[in-house]
Amino acid sequence: MNPAVEHAFFIYFFVSLCILSVAVIASRNIIHGAFYLLIFLLHVAAVFLFLNAEFLMVIQIIVYVGGVLALFVFAIMVMNIKEELRHKRFVKFSTAGLATGIIFFVSLYIFLNHVKSGENVLIKSDTTSLGKLLFSYYLLPFEILSLVLLVALIGGIIIAKKTPVDREGR
Amino acid sequence: MTPLSWYLILSATVFSIGLIGFIIRRDLIVMLMCLEIMFNAVNIAFASFSFYNANLQGQIFVLFSIAIAACEAVVGLAIVLALVRNTGINHSDEINKLRD
Repeated sequence: MNPAVEHAFFIYFFVSLCILSVAVIASRNIIHGAFYLLIFLLHVAAVFLFLNAEFLMVIQIIVYVGGVLALFVFAIMVMNIKEELRHKRFVKFSTAGLATGIIFFVSLYIFLNHVKSGENVLIKSDTTSLGKLLFSYYLLPFEILSLVLLVALIGGIIIAKKTPVDREGR
Repeated sequence: MTPLSWYLILSATVFSIGLIGFIIRRDLIVMLMCLEIMFNAVNIAFASFSFYNANLQGQIFVLFSIAIAACEAVVGLAIVLALVRNTGINHSDEINKLRD
């Protein structure tokens, strides 16, 4: 790819990711925030495509957009949260929180501004080598992760179900 | 080719915005969305390290991180759902009782 074109696209993704994440925070309606989060996740998938990680891009779209975001929208609709204008959007100490975040970012920027990377980059990422690595070296974490997903599924069901007291209306 | 520091600064910026949102918003669901933003920022950092060091372990770690983020979203939304059903509260600074 032409380097100038790549830089231009990277700058576009940088600006749009910042704008979309600010929009998720600043939106008063939660459904609008979820929609901005959807576009944000698609942009992150495009950044993964810049880094030669096609499999990660697909997994990002499937899991995040198809799973997590649908879960968010479903939860918002189940809770039937209305837009309450009697509440303010931000907490009382919002300026202190903003200052904390800005100090955090400035320190990270000073730390990351002179990062040197190696000369060899990932030439071509195919899913075959990723799968071989995942099922040979990382086989035990993979199986543990399946167990963790099962535990989270059961825990989510048990936390969110109605108790018998609720069902009998007492 | 874009240098590594650009990707890391992008990751740091998005992570800081997510952190600020997690601190200053009151809605519990928006706080969980800010957690997802922070997860995605860290995943960008992992994928960029994987690209500039020419090995695939960063991408494997991003896969694990996405799965753990899905678990976190499930459990967090279940807790918020139970809280809203039992008390009708969906703001973080009104939660001040340990029992009804």
